[in-house]
Amino acid sequence: MKKPGGQSINFRDNARQALQNPTLRRAMRHATETFRNKRNDAIDGIPFEEWREQASELRKSIIGNINGYVDEFAVNATKRGAIVHRAKTAADARDLITAILKDNGAKSIVKSKSMVTEEIHLNKCLADLGFRVIETDLGEYIIQIAGETPSHIIVPAIHRSKEQIGQLFCEKLGCDFSDDPAVLTDTARKLLRQEFLSADAAISGANCYIANTGSIVLFTNEGNGRMVTTLPPLHIVVTSIEKALPSIDDLPLLMRLLPRSATGQVLTSYLSIISGQRMAYSTMDTKRLHIVLLDNGRSEIARGPYWEMLKCIKCGACMNVCPVYGMIGGHAYASTYPGPMGVILSTLLNGLENAHPLLDATTLCGACAEACPVKVPLLKLLYELREMRVAKGYNNTLEGVSMRGFGIAAKNAHIFRTGQASAGALWPLAGILSPVTVNRLPKPVKRTFRRRFS
Amino acid sequence: MRNEELIRIFMENASKVAAKPIRVEGSNKLNDILDEILANETSVYCPAKTELEKSVIIDVERRVEALENATSSVEEVVAGIAETGSIVVSSANGRALQTSLLPTYHVALLSADNIFASLDEFFKIMGNDLPTNVTFITGPSRTADIELTLTIGVHGPEKVSILVI
Repeated sequence: MKKPGGQSINFRDNARQALQNPTLRRAMRHATETFRNKRNDAIDGIPFEEWREQASELRKSIIGNINGYVDEFAVNATKRGAIVHRAKTAADARDLITAILKDNGAKSIVKSKSMVTEEIHLNKCLADLGFRVIETDLGEYIIQIAGETPSHIIVPAIHRSKEQIGQLFCEKLGCDFSDDPAVLTDTARKLLRQEFLSADAAISGANCYIANTGSIVLFTNEGNGRMVTTLPPLHIVVTSIEKALPSIDDLPLLMRLLPRSATGQVLTSYLSIISGQRMAYSTMDTKRLHIVLLDNGRSEIARGPYWEMLKCIKCGACMNVCPVYGMIGGHAYASTYPGPMGVILSTLLNGLENAHPLLDATTLCGACAEACPVKVPLLKLLYELREMRVAKGYNNTLEGVSMRGFGIAAKNAHIFRTGQASAGALWPLAGILSPVTVNRLPKPVKRTFRRRFS
Repeated sequence: MRNEELIRIFMENASKVAAKPIRVEGSNKLNDILDEILANETSVYCPAKTELEKSVIIDVERRVEALENATSSVEEVVAGIAETGSIVVSSANGRALQTSLLPTYHVALLSADNIFASLDEFFKIMGNDLPTNVTFITGPSRTADIELTLTIGVHGPEKVSILVI
């Protein structure tokens, strides 16, 4: 159960630990419930199904020609004065970004939230090389000073209570303790304002890029995204190739679906469309724009049987409705992307051999597929990957043996009866052999349902 | 759609996202309303580039020339979107995007003629030759990163007024 980098994904142990953490359980229950309600209110009274269908067809056609859109975007963004780079792997992206920063003599960097930079572990790389990197999204700022990773793709610090955040600010920032979100937010606002104005460079993600105009688009709420993309003299956008939209005319559909599905908003407070490099209005304006398009295995996924996962627009709706995610939170998945989309995407990005324990993180209830605003067939993909796991022999050996045994017994009435009769006697033994599996199952009854009628 | 109906929908949706839309009947009333809503502001920035901005009168003692030092700003915005209650700012004609970002109070001047019914309608007019930066502003800056508790005013303005003229 190795993951690249040598850490092991011990999903079951992680999940068990998470379940024993009452603060986390409370936080997750509150968060997923709130998000679910907000999203349900937001899609009430609009033609959600119709938009979903349109978006699904649009995303399908994009993934079918993804490299065509990358090329078209690169041409148009270059025309607008941006410098476009393509990174085949995470390491390539890190090297490119490091080189751009060094070429521009940048030392201090402000970042706005980007899951792609989490995927390539950019912050650690830059810190190791001596750069000063400050996350400026409030949630990302909290987990950065706590030394953690995001537990949700939209609200990264959702696993923490306000008391824990107050304590953290008190310890790390030296301010007075407060558990009032407004006071904590104000503390961060004051500290980060200076960072925005003095940083040498900015790194942001992008929610999508537009092929026919060469634009990148950012949906944000706090205003930090606007600060980092307009104030420092250098701006580096890091995004992944599947986030293409063919035309600017396709943007309204995404504007209607993404915020509603993510946070239940009609539109985020800010939506910025950045097309190329801008002429400076003053000394504090962005002057150079670099765009790094990350592949990291996506071209290959797009050609393979699980290509539909790339339709995903990273809204997080699937995790908010997932009964597994809602109980354990994002950290138990030990991978960049948690929840249903995370299980599938992590398996595809990191390989079945590395990520297969994550395929346990589902009840196969299908709530995720129902919530998805672009109709990614999440349930189907989970099934197929679990079948592939069995076919490749990555599932638990004992589970494989018992399922085969059950298969034989279920086909033969005599063996089935004998099995049922002896199950009670053999149960303690099975419990010793596989305590985890057996403890999850109901105990065999003395008098079976069949015997009541015979 | 009739213009008045469009204005009504725009103002209703802008209120829903915690912006404060105010109808200004006739441009001669503009400065009276500005005086009223900016009464407690000590440093006001106004770019004075468009005709509408040039008609804005702000006392010398509280008018600031550097945006970084302003606690409030008054500027004309390029459009309003009735569907979402958003206002639109753009970098076209060398305009500073930070006017709607750095101060804690942003006062947007919106000509009623520039209200569009839907996002699609706005993009149709924009065409493909976009300014370097087009930003839709839908209410004040906000976060829910701490326990999903809504907090208004993070890095951007905590107050947004829209004067529909």
